[in-house]
Amino acid sequence: MFCFQCEQTARTDTGAGCATAKGVCGKDETTSDLQDLLIYQLKGIGQYAHLLHQQGRPDAAADSFILYALFTTLTNVNFNRARFQEMIAEAARLRDRLQEAVGTRLAGPAAFQPANDLTGLLAQASIASVRAGLDAAGADVIGLRALVLYGLKGVAAYAHHAEVLGQTREAVGAGIAQALSFLASEPVDVEDILEEALALGRLNFTVMETLDAANTGTYGTPAPTNVRITPAAGKAVLVSGHDLRDLEAVLEATKDMGINVYTHGELLPAHSYPKLHAYPHLAGNYGGAWQNQQQEFAAFPGPVVMTSNCLIEPLPAYRNRIFTMGPVGWPGIKHLGHGDLAIVAQAAKALPGFAETAPEKTITIGFGRDAVLGAAETVIGAVKSGAIKHFFLIGGCDGAAPGRNYYTEFADAVPEDAMVLTLGCGKYRFNTHDFGTIGGLPRLLDLGQCNDTYSALVIAQALAGAFGCGVNELPLSLVVSWFEQKAAAVFLTLLALGVRNVRLGPTLPGFLTPALVNVLVNRFGVLPVTEAKADIAAAMGRAA
Amino acid sequence: MTEITLLTRDGVRLNVPCAPGQTVLAAAAAENLHLPAMCGSGNCGQCHAHVSAGGYEMGAYSPVVLPDAAQGGVLLCRCMPHDDLVVELPYDDASISRRAIPEREAVIESITQAGAGAVMLALQLRPDETLGSGADFIPGQYMEFTVPGTEIKRAYSLTNLPNWDGRLEFLMRLVPGGAFSTYLGTQAALGDVLHLRGPMGHFKLDEASPRPRVLVGGGCGAAPLVSLLRHMAEYQEWQPVYLVFGANREEEMLPQALLDELRAGLPQLRIIQAVWHPSQGWGGFSGTSAEALDALLAEGMESPDVYLCGPPKMLNAVRAVAVARGVPAEQIFAEQLAG
Repeated sequence: MFCFQCEQTARTDTGAGCATAKGVCGKDETTSDLQDLLIYQLKGIGQYAHLLHQQGRPDAAADSFILYALFTTLTNVNFNRARFQEMIAEAARLRDRLQEAVGTRLAGPAAFQPANDLTGLLAQASIASVRAGLDAAGADVIGLRALVLYGLKGVAAYAHHAEVLGQTREAVGAGIAQALSFLASEPVDVEDILEEALALGRLNFTVMETLDAANTGTYGTPAPTNVRITPAAGKAVLVSGHDLRDLEAVLEATKDMGINVYTHGELLPAHSYPKLHAYPHLAGNYGGAWQNQQQEFAAFPGPVVMTSNCLIEPLPAYRNRIFTMGPVGWPGIKHLGHGDLAIVAQAAKALPGFAETAPEKTITIGFGRDAVLGAAETVIGAVKSGAIKHFFLIGGCDGAAPGRNYYTEFADAVPEDAMVLTLGCGKYRFNTHDFGTIGGLPRLLDLGQCNDTYSALVIAQALAGAFGCGVNELPLSLVVSWFEQKAAAVFLTLLALGVRNVRLGPTLPGFLTPALVNVLVNRFGVLPVTEAKADIAAAMGRAA
Repeated sequence: MTEITLLTRDGVRLNVPCAPGQTVLAAAAAENLHLPAMCGSGNCGQCHAHVSAGGYEMGAYSPVVLPDAAQGGVLLCRCMPHDDLVVELPYDDASISRRAIPEREAVIESITQAGAGAVMLALQLRPDETLGSGADFIPGQYMEFTVPGTEIKRAYSLTNLPNWDGRLEFLMRLVPGGAFSTYLGTQAALGDVLHLRGPMGHFKLDEASPRPRVLVGGGCGAAPLVSLLRHMAEYQEWQPVYLVFGANREEEMLPQALLDELRAGLPQLRIIQAVWHPSQGWGGFSGTSAEALDALLAEGMESPDVYLCGPPKMLNAVRAVAVARGVPAEQIFAEQLAG
């Protein structure tokens, strides 16, 4: 067992990484080793898929499996060892089929034959460790390969969300296969691997653009929307995770029954999509970010559906009323497909629901690129008049670490003449605070989910165009909180597009060696977060 | 022993005794105060709090998640008091979960013969304002019945699976002269309302374990094992699984319909029926469940998880066999029933 992919990886004086019977996230060593093996197999499948893409005859089923399988290995997604055993067997069959299609036998991960039983698989696992080859290649190379792999996971996850909404791009399948094939070659040149990481960042821009098209194409253009954040009386279902398609399926399965559906975590932005907002029983948002789910789900008086990602160990208090969908899984927790959702309605009716309607509190969300650029004249006017002196994009993943109150302090200390944009579940650090208005606009603009960084970049590029300068010359500072691999992909996109002075926290990735941190700082202008007021002053170019 | 005073952000004071070497988190949990926590290993920071009085020792933790250690910041999963402590919690009392064991009413739906000397009792839970109308329990758990008209309590394991209909099923061995058995045999009628407390118990499947499972029970000991097997069937778990069921006489075997249902749900299930005092025609294993387990383990298999349920003497005999055959203690799960 060794994993250092997330922000809360175990850290000691000697280094970062979870290497005990159970990782900090709750993943056990068996599951972790099986995930490593699956990833190793995906590299091999990538070797074949890359050739097929190059030959103009890509295999759609393989491309789809790659996305889903990578998604299951993101932090807080799938903890079910049995599921990974099934996928490893499926991956071997897929590799065999692709090898036949290509007609040659490739070496390396492409040639890997998984053992038939669990003991055998665990004995093979070391070949797939993220640190395999450390002695020969050195820690910097291992760390960079990890950056590519973890960024690739995020790219695949976003591409999967787009795929379930019917949007795929050949270039995306090709790019992901190429990245897997690259990793399969065990690259040792630091500049080569760095270039691959940046290529992945550019690919992720295309993926986020595709996902944006998928979301807006299916559910309409996000519009500013008021969302209830206190419950109403009645039967209730809570839906968490990221996946809009799964949320829609739950809404369909519970409509016209007197059941209210609440979003949680990164599904808050769902309310801003007109076709989802149109469901009268999409009643509001409940709770906050993923790390509080154990208390929030236990207190929620109805069933919980976790879509796509961000699950942690279900407590006995709600074990029998939490369901997983998509890539998510936990041993002994019911997994549902779109056709199985009647049980969610049944559970909602059998559980008490909210006895009373709480006093109404709302927040405003839904400031996607259309809404912001629709008000472009007002925004540009406010900047020119000096009403808006600076923009801060404060967002990313939330988490449990006490140091994350940096983001609350930062948002609260931003001067009155600066606007705050936010996205991702990092918003929950401050999104119920009163930010007032600025230049005739709300001073806090919630842009959406973490993948809506695409919207933020389109807005930034449009403003840069309007002011005749580059994005880095805008009075715009990015203050990013990360936790897992979708954030890693977004981070690579920022680097690839040349966005400088990105503040990253609450800690830097454990897989980055000091030398790699220096590259990020010196070559790309990345800034580790320090203290909120000092960082604000530095960002605005004023004395503290 | 030391005393911990927990102060919530909204001013509630909670006192918790703490044994030497016990963490604040564990001490609170022992008092049914479940504080927000996540990793349990000092790495995530979810259990962060502040000690304002008293000395303590901290186990290993990730310094990045405790930036204020020098100012009394602590991780409660790692904090072991030396003195009486005052701990300031950064959340309101409502964030602390307290699990009360539910008291419920249930109506008798059916009482059916289930082999000689045993009945299947099916109950319908009356809806509860806070808990709803579903039957919420973990397979392997039991309910505590109050024998109607008395203060006598008897515990019976659930045989069915958690469900939204509110249905509870119990496979009960009738004990001649027993308090609940007498009620069942002489007074119980469909529609009777019973008072139950539960679910309770820690006898549950280790869900994450990939090892073969050997379930050994006798008499009423089969009840929770049936629930475990039904759960495995529902989740289509495919590791090897064996049910060793012991009875004095063939007539006390589990009903054939039940065995057929279990086999249909778990194709890999192997059932070994052990009869201690068989008739001449008996073709199955002759002997106790402990002897049957011994014979099974002697065949050789990957180191299994063993789930045992029965009265004390049977349990001890079966456990001794498992240990003698090399099953590690942490792979033996036992539920002791009344003798």
